[in-house]
Amino acid sequence: MQYLIQLLVSGLAIGAIYGLIAMGFAVIYRSTGLVNFAQGEMTMIVAYMAWTISTTISGNVFVVAIGAILAAIVLGLVIERVVMRPMLGEPVFATVMVTIGLAVILRSSINFIWDAYPHGLDIGVGRSIIRIGSIGVRTGQIAVIAMLLLLLAAIWAFFRYSKFGIAMRAVAADDRTALLMGISATRVHSIAWAASSVIAGIAGVFFALTYDLSPAMFQLGLKAFPATILGGLDAVLGSGLGGLLIGITENLAGGYLGSGMKEVAGFAMIIVVLMIRPFGIFGERDIERV
Amino acid sequence: MRTGDFKETYGELVALVDSPPVWLWSAVLIAGLIVAPYLLNSYALSFLMIILITVVGALGLNILTGYTGLISLGHVGFLVTGAYAYAVLVSKYHMHPLIGFLGAGAVPALVSLIVGAPSLRLKGLYLAITTLAFSFIINTVILEARWLTNGARGISVQRPEIFGVSFDSDPAFTHLCLGFAILTLFATLNIRRSRVGRAFVAIRDNDTAARVMGINLHAYKLFAFVSSAFITGIAGALYGIYLSFVSVEGFPFLLSIEALAILIVGGLGSALGAVLGTILIVLLPEATRMVFGLFSAQMDALFSTGAQELKSMLYGLVIILFLRFQPRGLVGAWHDIRRLWVNWPLRY
Repeated sequence: MQYLIQLLVSGLAIGAIYGLIAMGFAVIYRSTGLVNFAQGEMTMIVAYMAWTISTTISGNVFVVAIGAILAAIVLGLVIERVVMRPMLGEPVFATVMVTIGLAVILRSSINFIWDAYPHGLDIGVGRSIIRIGSIGVRTGQIAVIAMLLLLLAAIWAFFRYSKFGIAMRAVAADDRTALLMGISATRVHSIAWAASSVIAGIAGVFFALTYDLSPAMFQLGLKAFPATILGGLDAVLGSGLGGLLIGITENLAGGYLGSGMKEVAGFAMIIVVLMIRPFGIFGERDIERV
Repeated sequence: MRTGDFKETYGELVALVDSPPVWLWSAVLIAGLIVAPYLLNSYALSFLMIILITVVGALGLNILTGYTGLISLGHVGFLVTGAYAYAVLVSKYHMHPLIGFLGAGAVPALVSLIVGAPSLRLKGLYLAITTLAFSFIINTVILEARWLTNGARGISVQRPEIFGVSFDSDPAFTHLCLGFAILTLFATLNIRRSRVGRAFVAIRDNDTAARVMGINLHAYKLFAFVSSAFITGIAGALYGIYLSFVSVEGFPFLLSIEALAILIVGGLGSALGAVLGTILIVLLPEATRMVFGLFSAQMDALFSTGAQELKSMLYGLVIILFLRFQPRGLVGAWHDIRRLWVNWPLRY
């Protein structure tokens, strides 16, 4: 029983990280209709930038947090302006291939800008272990779950109440009509990229805080795919919750079926979901079957 | 005076080559490639082998991505499945190499049926995601199935001997690869000419229209995926033999990206494009290394330490730059040059 609870708790924590990255996918998909294959790489780059800030400028928690968020915004805006905007109006095939190219570039840039060795993002928080009954949890793990819930609420409110959130939904629903209503689609796109970069970046920083920083971190993005497929590619909140489900599934599979299954469980889930409910649990848009 | 390349009958539209001299030039090229292994040094020869093997794989992916317009991010999965199928059949169970090659095609084709059947029912990018997932699942499956695949230890593969002809030496193995490359080229060109190939292209260009014309989208997409996996599997077997050792590490994920880069650089949906793209992409890291090596020895050192990273960075850059500035690829550039040559000084 204790083993089960331990698995569930650590599954929730890693699932919250997948969920955050999956929300990043969904934010971009919702406003640009495009699957961003470079999401995991963006997560990794932001985490590395946070690490650089913590080692060069200051190890203060707030400085690192604000610095990382600013860095993530800049990263998202630069990618959108330099790489994605020129591809506006091109076929989906071309734009998706561009994100794949971008992913490869960002992934290998880690080795040139930083190095290939694992690092710990040590700013004095996140690693101490709290005992609840007989179960040990790292503070970072609790914090990331709380962060996910907080962001879920914030994003729900943003899309529901703020003017810009409604504009984003309008662009996603029908970009031509949105343009006629006076909404700037490029502005919506750049905000979406920046927001997605920030959300994914938070996940990256929390991952680096609780575990460690390495050039293999981009694989978090691959693990977030099942989450966003399960939750629904166009459902931001659903993707977040999908992450939790995937995290738990993965940990249970790893705990009871063997470590090999842990790596595969999420991916196997994709195929199952696509067979049963291809638009995900919370996805609204009907997916055309052929 | 010749003013352009005009098709006047339906027969000309589906002809294998544009004009008879193409046959002559192709024969000269093949003769050159047959002689080349005896003239090149072993370093250059290894590039020739890699190019020929990669051409097989790129043509395989071209059926799926180029003709049918579906993205696969997991073709390395079929490559590794094919390599293992060959290695298990030939090295472990001592079957005839030809059966090995057949298995190297058939096993990935069967696997692709499992991956493709659920994901190809859906419109959109789902195949890219499922194939991406597949390429990671298959590695775990191979590592876990130790009784069959030796797990992480891998299987060593000898160069084959088919009907008394040994392909052990480098030139002989090059000839084997050349044979497979030519076979694949003819196979894909003929698929493109046939009813099936036209259906693929119709699906790529407008799937609703294709469906209205009576094309069963699911069946044809699945057929494209399976035949693509079959050819890719054979390329995998050849690559395994070339490496003389089949293991999961020998087939990194980067190969999937490399294959897509080849198609984009060459020009999507063209067999000639796949060949040109392969030559460029295979030689690109080496060429870049030479150019930078001229400037400083420091750059040369960087290239040898971070070879893998530089390679992937180059592939990424090439993909983005070609999509932005030359979306029709090298084939498009070649057609423009040819038209300029024929029409000059007139514009058309």
